[in-house]
Amino acid sequence: MTTEIVGGAALAPPTAIGGRRSARLRQLAPFLPAMVIIVGLFVVPLALMFVFSFWSTNENLDVVPVWTLENYQNFFTNPTYVRTLFKTMVIGAGVTVVCLVVAFVVAYFLSRYVSRRWARIALLIIIVPFWTSYLLRVYSWQAILGEHGALNQVLVGLGILREPSLLFVYNDFGTFIVLAYLYIPFAALVLYASLERFDFTQLTAAQDLGAGPVAAFRRVLLPQIRPGLITACIFVFIPILGEFLTPSMVGGAQGLLIANLLANFFKTALIPEGAAVGFLIAAFVTALLIVFRRYLRVQDVVVRG
Amino acid sequence: MDPLETMPVSRHGRAIRRAMQVGFAALIVFLYLPIVFMIVFSFDEGATPGLPITSFTLHWYEAMLNNRVLLRAVGNSVTVAIIVSILATVIGTMAAFVLVRGRIRFPNATRIAFTLPIMVPGVLIGVSLLIYFARVLDLSLSLATVVAGHLVVTVPFVVLIVASRLQSFDRSLEWAAADLGASPRRAIRHIVLPLIAPAIIAGALISVTLSIDEFVITWFTVGSQPTLPTFIYTRVKFGVTPEVNAVATVMLFVTLGTLGLAAVALSRARRMTGRSRRRRGAG
Amino acid sequence: MNRLDNQLSRRRFLQASAAVGAAVSLGGITAACNAIGQPAVQGGTFNWMTWGDHYIDTQLKAIEASDKIVPQISELAGNAEGFAKLKEVKGELDQMSGDALWVPDAYFAEGLIEPFDINELKVSSQLYPFARQFEIWTKPEGYLGYPFGWSPISIYYNVEHVTPAPDSWAVLLDPKYKGRIVIENQPEEIVAYMGKASGVDDVYNMTDDQLATVKGLLEQLKPNVLKFAQQATDSVNAMTSEEAWLITGNLGNEDRVKDGGGPEIKGFIPKEGTVGWMDAEMIVKEGKNKSLLFPFMEKSQQAEYIAENFITHGRPLFNEAAYKILVDKGEGDRADRYLYNKAEETLAKTTLKGPGTSTEKSIQLFNEVFGA
Repeated sequence: MTTEIVGGAALAPPTAIGGRRSARLRQLAPFLPAMVIIVGLFVVPLALMFVFSFWSTNENLDVVPVWTLENYQNFFTNPTYVRTLFKTMVIGAGVTVVCLVVAFVVAYFLSRYVSRRWARIALLIIIVPFWTSYLLRVYSWQAILGEHGALNQVLVGLGILREPSLLFVYNDFGTFIVLAYLYIPFAALVLYASLERFDFTQLTAAQDLGAGPVAAFRRVLLPQIRPGLITACIFVFIPILGEFLTPSMVGGAQGLLIANLLANFFKTALIPEGAAVGFLIAAFVTALLIVFRRYLRVQDVVVRG
Repeated sequence: MDPLETMPVSRHGRAIRRAMQVGFAALIVFLYLPIVFMIVFSFDEGATPGLPITSFTLHWYEAMLNNRVLLRAVGNSVTVAIIVSILATVIGTMAAFVLVRGRIRFPNATRIAFTLPIMVPGVLIGVSLLIYFARVLDLSLSLATVVAGHLVVTVPFVVLIVASRLQSFDRSLEWAAADLGASPRRAIRHIVLPLIAPAIIAGALISVTLSIDEFVITWFTVGSQPTLPTFIYTRVKFGVTPEVNAVATVMLFVTLGTLGLAAVALSRARRMTGRSRRRRGAG
Repeated sequence: MNRLDNQLSRRRFLQASAAVGAAVSLGGITAACNAIGQPAVQGGTFNWMTWGDHYIDTQLKAIEASDKIVPQISELAGNAEGFAKLKEVKGELDQMSGDALWVPDAYFAEGLIEPFDINELKVSSQLYPFARQFEIWTKPEGYLGYPFGWSPISIYYNVEHVTPAPDSWAVLLDPKYKGRIVIENQPEEIVAYMGKASGVDDVYNMTDDQLATVKGLLEQLKPNVLKFAQQATDSVNAMTSEEAWLITGNLGNEDRVKDGGGPEIKGFIPKEGTVGWMDAEMIVKEGKNKSLLFPFMEKSQQAEYIAENFITHGRPLFNEAAYKILVDKGEGDRADRYLYNKAEETLAKTTLKGPGTSTEKSIQLFNEVFGA
């Protein structure tokens, strides 16, 4: 005999229609606040913006209901947007790979060779920098990577460089390094959560059955942490598509990413134009997820995390 | 630790383990390098953060205490972060329960709906909320609207984390409790919640983290109240005088201190109730 | 079962108290911060959105002590952003700072601000006479804002590395200076400068043909730009450290770089002309606390504070009496270097900032060139 335990209220045997309906309401009640937030504070405002994206801006920088497809057309007729989106994706993919590799090593180390308590402390140490200002951290990178920054001073002092290099910052390299810096802790957290549940004795068992270490990893470990890997990918790659502060601070004039172009519109109160670009980015992300859905098995990710 | 669990997989296991230790240390150095710089610059006499450090001074800490707008900004940010964290954790956990155990008509679609806020660029969310609050709802912007904006991006995280944990939770424990006479509510309170507590705490921590340094959405939804990230941003427009570094340094150490105290309190609590730390928790 | 219950509840209790303790201490710190930040007593507060150099702390403290009026200041990033925000929040702000043509063409046109009789403010007699009569700010209903400060945009160059001494916008396009230029992160202004460089006068209302010419100049500019400065201090720092040899900026950068220990730099206004701004404090029509604004301005706009503001922030301002104070204090030379006394003639040669018909196209153009 198993009683279905649902959200704190046992599902009563159907006595009357009213009884079942009010039981269902009680069952769904805890879900309502979250739903109000998602629908009322996310879906509805965005729907409004979606409508705006088909309108225009007049000379007084007002949004006026003059219907047009131009905001969307511009994205494709003006080659810079697609090019910049592509570049952002390339950088995003690169950063994701680096983050995953580093985070995997860290998470593996912490979950396998370190006791629970210390692992949790280590994770906290990794996450604490998040609690300081993003802007200040990125700003500090300017001081580290700049022409007169710490890195150059060390390299010149050691004799590795004859004179300070301008190549570390105010270009795509700077953006890459700082983005990796910002997202590694996040990826590490996600991967740790996944690896923590993995039973490492399976690897020994696999070896007992004749598998080499690489094969053991590939066929025993990776499939089981796959949802975690996918989650980490998603939590790194997608937000990078929305990053504009880091590129503007360390990317230099040549390093604008797609979100900078978006921000340029909103900064000048050109809302419809910006909204169109924003929705196209989101649509593109959604398309990516749909195309790769079978490979990603998104439900698994969302369900098992 | 169980030797079987920590036995290296390959011949080079020990060397690899050593390499990982070194790598981990290197990562910590890498992560904290800008933080160290940030702290060092807070003691630098010169108003421009940059090497070399000319002379040490506490001048900026003094200036920080005199800067009312800055202090109000810190107060606002911390208040908002705490409120957001509590609300997001409660709302998200409740929703996670229903998502995993309730009978929702379109469970997959709902789950995907919860991940959507993470997919949309923050700038877009911010602008949409500004227009929505100001024009549609005719609400005045304030810290309350900031809280609302932050909830949009924090609740999904809590829901996802708690739901994933709940999904793999071993229900037999609850059934055992029921067999022993516990009501469903009691079972939830005493069995389920404690065991999924790590996930709930993780959700709370992520909410605080996301909220306290949230800049983009805050920028659009705040009224005339300063918050720390928006303050720093506009300071970045006028010069990051090291007062900001001083604030960040103080906040960092306050955070570390609070975490340290909480950890000590929790470990003492655990010792008193003799709970074993060795077990890998069920479910 | 009982013992387990007790253990669980004891642990719960300790956890709860640890949590409460942490929350209380955090709450205490928060309350302390807020308490320090609140004005001592009633008299009033009002909401003011402005740039960070429109006030100084000593001035605010003094006015709080004497009149108990405290402005809640939110920082303004740029005109377009400020305008967009005010359009949405309206009465939540009481005083708003704005530049040049934004005042009549955006804020007033939108019905957001209230004209007033500037002569009602006694302190206005301290202003230069022409500042009280700017045509663009004069409407039948009254004056649109209380004038504060101004500056044209100049080019600054590192004397040692930039030779021969430049006199034109074209120096920014010279391939010799690749990666040595820092300009402000204001896309619509950058397009405007290049408009000037191409010989256009009305750079905020450019035609498609003019924009096409500007595009070519922007493409030449792109490889020369090292980075976009988030704000003025970034440019100054770049010059001080000699990362950059050329920057654009407001008056006064020579001194700023010198004060920072940097090399000798010179500034000039390009021969093709330049853009400039002059800002004013505007009264928001629906502001709930606007009754406090006149009493506040009577105090805050006094020459002594304006003079001190100049010394702190280093921008020429419209208060004539303050100039005399500066001369007495021995800061006259510096004020002259910043053209303090030459506002009227300098501004006559600049195109004033404002919204325009080509704003959207400018941003599209900027994105097109500076995107990937």
